Amino acid sequence: MNIKYWLDLYVVLIKSSIRSRMQYKLNFILGTVLAAIVQIAEFLMIAIVLNKFGAVKGWSLYEVGYLFAVMTLSKTLYRTFASDVHHLENYLTTGELDQLLTRPVPILLALMSQNIRLMPGELLQGGTILYWSMHGLITSGQITWAALPYTLFIIVTGGVILFSIGLATATIGFWITRIDELQTLTEDAAQTAVRYPLVLYPVWLRSLLLIVIPVGFVGYVPSLFILRGEYGAWLVYGIAFLAVICLIVSLKFWKFGLTRYQSTGS
Amino acid sequence: MKPSQPMIEVCGLHKQFKTPVVKEGRFAGLRTLFTREYRMKEAVKDISFTISQGDFVGYIGPNGAGKSTTIKMLTGILHPSSGEVKIGGINPHHNRRHVAKRLGVVFGQRSQLWWDLPVKDSYDILAHMYKVASSEKEKRLDELGELLDLKEFWLTPVRKLSLGQRMRADIAASMLHDPDVLFLDEPTIGLDVTAKRSIRGFLKKLNSEYGKTILLTTHDMDDIEQLCQRVMVINHGKLSYEGTIGNLRDKIGLPTRIHVTFHGTYQMPIPKDLSLPVELGLDAEHTFQIVEASSHEIHIEANRQQVKAMDILRMVSGWGEVADIHMEEPDFEDIIHRIY
Repeated sequence: MNIKYWLDLYVVLIKSSIRSRMQYKLNFILGTVLAAIVQIAEFLMIAIVLNKFGAVKGWSLYEVGYLFAVMTLSKTLYRTFASDVHHLENYLTTGELDQLLTRPVPILLALMSQNIRLMPGELLQGGTILYWSMHGLITSGQITWAALPYTLFIIVTGGVILFSIGLATATIGFWITRIDELQTLTEDAAQTAVRYPLVLYPVWLRSLLLIVIPVGFVGYVPSLFILRGEYGAWLVYGIAFLAVICLIVSLKFWKFGLTRYQSTGS
Repeated sequence: MKPSQPMIEVCGLHKQFKTPVVKEGRFAGLRTLFTREYRMKEAVKDISFTISQGDFVGYIGPNGAGKSTTIKMLTGILHPSSGEVKIGGINPHHNRRHVAKRLGVVFGQRSQLWWDLPVKDSYDILAHMYKVASSEKEKRLDELGELLDLKEFWLTPVRKLSLGQRMRADIAASMLHDPDVLFLDEPTIGLDVTAKRSIRGFLKKLNSEYGKTILLTTHDMDDIEQLCQRVMVINHGKLSYEGTIGNLRDKIGLPTRIHVTFHGTYQMPIPKDLSLPVELGLDAEHTFQIVEASSHEIHIEANRQQVKAMDILRMVSGWGEVADIHMEEPDFEDIIHRIY
């Protein structure tokens, strides 16, 4: 009954969020279309670069495409369901978090249902590249379609890991208020970096992307098993376990951060 | 629930704000993160009070005195540095959501409603949040709609409401789940006289007829005078007064002004060439002042704690034939100004 209540409420909030956005129809449509165009342009550029260089450090074009697609889809998942967690800074600088705190709803749920953004562009781009790269890998006999369920699974665990990183970064905002630069580092830069095989990077950067900001576990590490049969299937389950740990730790940190909220003067 | 049961209990509340000194230049955010320099600001120092069920209490103080900070701690928005808050026996910092269900909160400066949606939609969403059954919701909205005249802008998006309409809609929203306690942070700010009057009337009704416990902050002294049974004054983060408005008047002891007009001439028992003001008295303890005198009129200032108005009048009526008497109680604004 309780779960049902939260789900119902989430749906109600999402609906009203979309209805709010629809009040500005042109902006809504234009925003969605433009985001799609940007995504496609981005992909075309990367395709050109990869096409020029071909394989990188033993990773084929298809394999790199796979990493790219998994990251895009995980990120889409995270940003669709937790849109305003990434934009906590706005709530902190304007004191808008006050309103959310006076309601009998977990702050996280409230944030996750505000300003929802549909991301069809990202979905289309990620899906297309995923299809293309997996098709290529299957044709060459490297993997079979059995890799698909694993792939969908790691997209979800990847989404959870990205969410945890995003939430932990946002939480730091309770102390320092402005977090855009920090987000550039822990979210944007880190996510872009692991769209390519980690072997490209020096050891220190690799460790950073696996231990400090565990974004390497989104696509790269599971693909070692899924694409190359290294380690074993336990790797994927281990990553799911890790994702849950990340989530728990970031949620604890978030709860603690909320007690440090300072609001604004009025 | 029995009346006079404590509804809001606040004990030894402190709030310090610790803000890192913000750096400038490149990587300012990161450098601020690792800085060890802090500025401490004590916004609220050792505040304790109890508000019983059914009380209507005004919470006043100058800007920056710590009013909003206190309200935010009571509602569970801010966590205190030390001390404890209990609303209906429950701590809002340990059980925020639980307490939130029993609270109605209105911030005059900020709407709680969904900005881009019609007013009605906000109520639908809130009813979901607070688990208000739809039959109950309809009933309550009918009632609130009647009292606050909501129907005329029922389908208007919140962003297009006038300030008065918005405030009414906001107050209705805070009442939808039938809370026990209402926190109002400057609910009449920026409103015109009519809008203020309608909101005051409604709040009065909420308190007297529905028995809601209300804590109100405001800069409008008429709000306080017309609504509150009790006031608390905060200044520099400390409670400087707590009690009834009448006691507050007495404590400050601003003089009552008495204007006496005579038929024809009158004779004061003082030498003609003495410059005003002049102090007179029944005896050494009970004195009043004559501040102004013209051919037919005198102005007297007296502290009603020291001397009874009747005694003064009895004395004055001996000086000539009194035509008219006008008494002015000290202005509440002046009292507050004295306290600040």
